[in-house]
Amino acid sequence: MMAPLVPHEMLAPELGLAVALVTGILFGFFLERAGFGSPRKLTAMFYLQDFAVLRVMFTAVVVAMAGLLILGGIGQIDLEMLAIPDTYLWPQALGGLVIGLGFAVGGY
Amino acid sequence: MSPGDPASEEHAYWSPYVAGLGIGLTLLLTFYIMGHGLGASGAYTQLTAKLLQRVTPDHAQANTYLKDYLGGSFWQSWIVIEIIGVFLGGLLGALTARRFRFQIERGPHAGRGSRLFLALGGGIAVGFGSRLALGCTSGQALSGGAVLAVGSWLFTLTFFLGGYLVALLVRREWQ
Repeated sequence: MMAPLVPHEMLAPELGLAVALVTGILFGFFLERAGFGSPRKLTAMFYLQDFAVLRVMFTAVVVAMAGLLILGGIGQIDLEMLAIPDTYLWPQALGGLVIGLGFAVGGY
Repeated sequence: MSPGDPASEEHAYWSPYVAGLGIGLTLLLTFYIMGHGLGASGAYTQLTAKLLQRVTPDHAQANTYLKDYLGGSFWQSWIVIEIIGVFLGGLLGALTARRFRFQIERGPHAGRGSRLFLALGGGIAVGFGSRLALGCTSGQALSGGAVLAVGSWLFTLTFFLGGYLVALLVRREWQ
């Protein structure tokens, strides 16, 4: 079976919505278990008290990245077909800055 | 420790590495099946576009940004269904860990009104920033980060920079 499944038409696009629900539930569940339902925990990193946000985020990025590289290396996923966000340096730098400000103020 | 004790809640949270592993595998599964990662802010763009279309269709159609989001049904938008899933998953997590309750979480010296006012301001900034950057911490930092997108990593750096820049000003709100 060649992934990504939906772009490769191995799986009907209509089933994509069921995938959205399931991956969304998993995402929400793990975020809650990490303590990310709490804005005080989410902002604690900015006061050098609790670096859970950094740890969770980078663990997730490294796990997904390593998984994609391994699956790509053994020919189980076509890395060329993955959606990679386009690069717009100034909008992304400014957007990140504004979100960071808003996150520390709003808590999420 | 009593059930309401914040310290006892702390113990109920998973190790950040275990939770991160769970999120990473969820993200990998999403890429494996869909070819794209997880998002969040795009659901709000869908909501904004579809609500505006309902209230004033001409205005929605004339808006150069939102007109691209008017096609297709709201309930068949991938990211909308994903975010409904996130809500359900978060609810499930809170209920099963017995930490579900109605509250306006804030620091011991912060007022309810100022917390809500700052939440609104922060939310507006996050909403604006995520449209500017074409994504939020989920779509850019997490999903874009995992596929080593250059702009996504720049986003992640400036995100932390922005947080640290403003954090001391709102310390009373949280600490």
